[in-house]
Amino acid sequence: MRNLLNFLAKYNNLIIFLILEGISFYLLTTGNTYQNTQVVKGVRSLTRGIDERISNARNYFHLRDINQILAFENATLKNNISLLKNKENLVFFSVSDTSYRQQYQFTSAEVINNSVTRQKNFFTLNKGRKQGVAVDMAVTSDAGVAGVIVGCSPNYSIAMSLLNLDFKVSARLKSNGFFGSLGWDGKEYKYAVLSEIPQHVTFGIGDTVETTGYSAIFPEGVMIGTVSDFEKSGGDFYMIKVLLKTDFKKLRFVSVIGNMKKKEQLKLEKQFK
Amino acid sequence: MINRILRFSLIFFLLILLQVLVFNNIRFSGYVNPYIYVMFILLLPVEIPSWLLLLISFATGAVMDIFCGSPGIHASATVLAGFVRPYALRVISPRDGYEPGADPSMFVYGLRWFLIYTSVIILIHHTALFYLEVFRLADFFRTLLRVFMSSVFSITFILLLEYIRKGK
Repeated sequence: MRNLLNFLAKYNNLIIFLILEGISFYLLTTGNTYQNTQVVKGVRSLTRGIDERISNARNYFHLRDINQILAFENATLKNNISLLKNKENLVFFSVSDTSYRQQYQFTSAEVINNSVTRQKNFFTLNKGRKQGVAVDMAVTSDAGVAGVIVGCSPNYSIAMSLLNLDFKVSARLKSNGFFGSLGWDGKEYKYAVLSEIPQHVTFGIGDTVETTGYSAIFPEGVMIGTVSDFEKSGGDFYMIKVLLKTDFKKLRFVSVIGNMKKKEQLKLEKQFK
Repeated sequence: MINRILRFSLIFFLLILLQVLVFNNIRFSGYVNPYIYVMFILLLPVEIPSWLLLLISFATGAVMDIFCGSPGIHASATVLAGFVRPYALRVISPRDGYEPGADPSMFVYGLRWFLIYTSVIILIHHTALFYLEVFRLADFFRTLLRVFMSSVFSITFILLLEYIRKGK
């Protein structure tokens, strides 16, 4: 105690100096917009570098799993290709015909920061504006829907996770085509809630829930999950608990999907609103 | 004692007014903005306790910040100047030490002593101020040039003010 007092007495000037400078710097960084953004930028770039490094190290340990998933995905894609080839042979169309233009663009990206514990979860991808990623693009994992891009910097982008109270996507039951709105209720990271399905519809536990193409963000028919439980809620609708196919706790490689015809669709729809 | 406090309060208000009304509007060629209000920290008595000096420095900077609309920038620079002042005074102390109760004035210790004293504090203050204002190292040498040009002007004006102060 006496040593402490001696210490304080000896360095009281330095301590006062540091306290006053601390106050000044606090004012400086919070009161001035420019300095504030500089500091935030600096801290961000620091944590981003670390995030990326941690993610790199982790990836190394997950290589086996990742390889398996990739091999599996490759196989399904190959199947699709052969299927499509067969279909193509059935009809003739000119390659230069713009109505056969590709509608969706895919690019792969890696998740370098992720959370599932908050009420509003976001994850960071290692691709940004320079790599063609733009706001409002869809993000899917190899299993299904993952999120929507909400912000881009030149080399990174932030996606709003499906596990975010603000996330809403138009979804339907694959078995009968009835559609409703799917969102997260903020409780468990494995389940989401599909609402607005009328009560006269029949379906069973285990039925597939997939996206509709209505929102112009997600392509039609992307897997979301399976029905795990349902109950009648209020009016005439079901509240359906959906077991998500995507495991957000080990989200690593995702596809970013851009809709090339989105502008056209939205523009047309706007005329009738 | 009361007399002294009144005198320094007067000097404080005059310097702040002079700075805000006149010198803040001086911008030679985009490089030079003299900050003469630091003179107040220079003029405080030699044997003022360090903690009081630091608090006064902070208050001076904070008042300037309010007028300039730049929270924290002037305050951190003046606190640094106030922190350095006792060390600077010790290093450049005259051969027979400071007289008790004397102000660090040009007319007591001579032009050369006052010039060195002013230059050291002003340079430190301006360096901190301008770099905090720019807040990046990208334009390092341009900022350095601004620091030196502004310091030269500030020192010149402070010497002139010191003459005027004693001339009365």
